[in-house]
Amino acid sequence: MLTTRRLLETFKQLHITHVVGLPDNSTAALFHELAEDPDIYLITVTREGEAFATAAGLWIGGQHPIIVIQNTGLLESGDALRGTLTRMRIPVIILVSYRGYKSLPNPAPTTLTPDDLSRRDVDSVAVLLEPTLRAWNIPYEIISDNSELEKIIFAQQRAQNETRPTAIVIAENIR
Amino acid sequence: MVGWSMTIRVSDPPTNQPMLTQHEFLAPLAARRTDQVVVSTMSLVRAWGRLSKHELDFAFADSAMGHAQSLALGIALAQPQRRVLCLNGDGSMLMSLGSLVTIAQCRARNLILFVAQNNTYEVTGNQNIPGAGAVDFHDIALACGFPHAFHFHDAREYESHLDKILHLQGPVFISVRLEPGAEPPPNRKQSEDTPYLRGSLADSAHRLREALNQ
Repeated sequence: MLTTRRLLETFKQLHITHVVGLPDNSTAALFHELAEDPDIYLITVTREGEAFATAAGLWIGGQHPIIVIQNTGLLESGDALRGTLTRMRIPVIILVSYRGYKSLPNPAPTTLTPDDLSRRDVDSVAVLLEPTLRAWNIPYEIISDNSELEKIIFAQQRAQNETRPTAIVIAENIR
Repeated sequence: MVGWSMTIRVSDPPTNQPMLTQHEFLAPLAARRTDQVVVSTMSLVRAWGRLSKHELDFAFADSAMGHAQSLALGIALAQPQRRVLCLNGDGSMLMSLGSLVTIAQCRARNLILFVAQNNTYEVTGNQNIPGAGAVDFHDIALACGFPHAFHFHDAREYESHLDKILHLQGPVFISVRLEPGAEPPPNRKQSEDTPYLRGSLADSAHRLREALNQ
């Protein structure tokens, strides 16, 4: 189980100052808690692309933001990510909720066909998420339990060591 | 005339009325600029760079795809003691109108957003933007929650109000009706006349971070 309390503890351990993003059902509890949190400033955007540019500006200004969006929003904002965090080499973590994770075929297809992306029992954004992250050269780890929160710390270390954005994919609803 | 207060709607002038040149828009701003961060994009990048060589200038170029004002918002929120000016284009503004809501919601008191309204995508050859001549950015900004919005089409009016505008509690929105220009796309290369286009975008971002956090 992944809990808001432990996730916020991890954010504070990393000295996160701002969360920039858009909620979905799996991150709703986190956004609800952040709205009341006195230590972390929440910026809710109208479209995910904004989150990348705003986070870039926050980092340039000396702050430590993190982005929280759904995988649909990540796909929507591909050029915003490319033009900001990637091109500016900004070490910010992108937390991406994995909509449709449980609908993925096991094993996941290695070569995608039109049928893979149009099956009614499979959420196509889930099928596309990991290939997209790889194509966009964003290192990522998947977490679904509090016991894996250390991966966020490692993602932050890698982002800073390599001066690049990294991603954490959340494959479970945050409680 | 200008849209001076949040309650006055001012229409764009008929086409036979005056518009500002790019120089009339930017030169008064450059003359008054002190320690503000200036984020420029698209056709305004080189134009601003010809007037300013300040270490707090940032060119969101080669392409910002409508996100310059969101980057400026982030800097403004991170540096609340410092004013941040964003020099945006009308085509760029249309790409992310929702960001006006985000800016207003964040109450970035130190952010001033200029939109150069020439009704064209200048750097790609002056094709009309959607809604050219019909879109009222001033009214849109007010409707999104900006406490102050202005529209200028006369150079003297613009300059006479600029000092007061630059000291308002923001976020402040200013649209300026400009003549179409002929700036090519803002590329980054060593041979550029404007120094802030000679390094990479990453170098520029990291240098600005250093300058802001000394």
